[in-house]
Amino acid sequence: MSEKTMISVKHLTKKFGDVSVLKDINLEIKEKEVVCIIGPSGSGKSTILRCLNYLEEPSGGDIVIDNIKLEKGTNLNAIRKEVGMVFQRFNLFPNMTVLQNIMLAPVEVRKISKQKAEEKALALLRRVGLEHKASSYPDELSGGQQQRVAIARALAMNPEVLLFDEPTSALDPEMVKEVLDVMKALAKEGMTMVVVTHEMGFAKEVADRVMFVDGGYILEENEPEEFFSNPKNERTKSFLSKIL
Amino acid sequence: MSIDLDFDLIIDNLPLLLKGAAVTLEITALSVGIGLLIGMVVGIARLSNFKAIRWLAGIYVDFIRGTPLLVQIFLVYFALPKILGMRIDPFFAAVAACSINSGAYVAEIFRSGIQSIDKGQFEASRALGLNWFQSMKFVIMPQAFKRIIPPLGNEFIAMLKDSSLVSVIGFEELTRTGQMIISRTYAVFEVWMVVAILYLIMTLCISRLVAVLEKRFNTSKR
Repeated sequence: MSEKTMISVKHLTKKFGDVSVLKDINLEIKEKEVVCIIGPSGSGKSTILRCLNYLEEPSGGDIVIDNIKLEKGTNLNAIRKEVGMVFQRFNLFPNMTVLQNIMLAPVEVRKISKQKAEEKALALLRRVGLEHKASSYPDELSGGQQQRVAIARALAMNPEVLLFDEPTSALDPEMVKEVLDVMKALAKEGMTMVVVTHEMGFAKEVADRVMFVDGGYILEENEPEEFFSNPKNERTKSFLSKIL
Repeated sequence: MSIDLDFDLIIDNLPLLLKGAAVTLEITALSVGIGLLIGMVVGIARLSNFKAIRWLAGIYVDFIRGTPLLVQIFLVYFALPKILGMRIDPFFAAVAACSINSGAYVAEIFRSGIQSIDKGQFEASRALGLNWFQSMKFVIMPQAFKRIIPPLGNEFIAMLKDSSLVSVIGFEELTRTGQMIISRTYAVFEVWMVVAILYLIMTLCISRLVAVLEKRFNTSKR
């Protein structure tokens, strides 16, 4: 972890109609840090993540990523290039092969040559253990394999930050590990990661910091050991007692 | 009651009728082609984030779907020249009216096709840094297009049949050609039989073509 601040969020709020999902979110994430966000469903944890790359437009507050302030009207695509996202339901493009899925953004957005993009895509597939699936279509892969391809696709843009939105929640239990292993490896290599997850084992083992979100606020944050062994907030305690 | 078919009359007039059929096919193809372009733009406009654009596209679709094609043809052929102060060629009027008509129906086909694609596809594409246009071009449209082939085929067939309406402005497509032969020969039965059969052959060919296209898209992967 370095001292450079990668993500800074101040007084973020988000309303859907009359419903306030995020009430006052403040957080700071340093370069190479791995932060896990946990909390009950409907607590707003995925919404925080989706605001970080403007898939949801915040209702108020400031978000600064890599010293660029996110605002409507600024070139959001410039920021999205640097912020990769992995979705709960993979969202691979079914009309393209695995290789084409990974090559699309580097070729069309980064404008690198097809040949270079392909070399890079194959290297990434090797990294997630799926080079033999390059010419398969997404629906020929298992859920775990699809999610590993989705991670490779996000990595192909060389993002500064990777956001994971419950990456293992849609997977069969026996496939969770293969995805978590890839994520662990990324964390070790120094990728800055923000992970919304229900995998407490992963949070304990890999996270530098764990945040507990409920009711639109970050109620508690701490290093994982302290967080899990000695939670301070009552709501955190009751949440952890239910799931651990 | 017996009907004596005059086969010689049919054979004598067949070249004329075939020519009419070719013209019918021509205006149908032109109209659906132009309608496809209009429909794609309007269909996307119907999903725009800008209220005014959505609203305009909605008015167009409502107006066209809510008025008879026959009246639209009259509007283009008889009313429009009053405004423009010049005569309009029947061919141009026929293609214009049919294209504008087809565009509204195709717009609805595109709109529902695009809406049927999972929202996560667009989000994943935007999250990778692709802009709106690139997301449409590479991710959404290829998937939507596959799904809209069957309804587009229906639209083509419907347009082919509806194009018979342009006979009322004297444009010589298949139906008008039939009318003209009858006014000369009084062979009502023979001519309308042949006209009906020619329409049937054309629509059957189109539905076969659509079926082949559909299959090709499905087997050649997504």
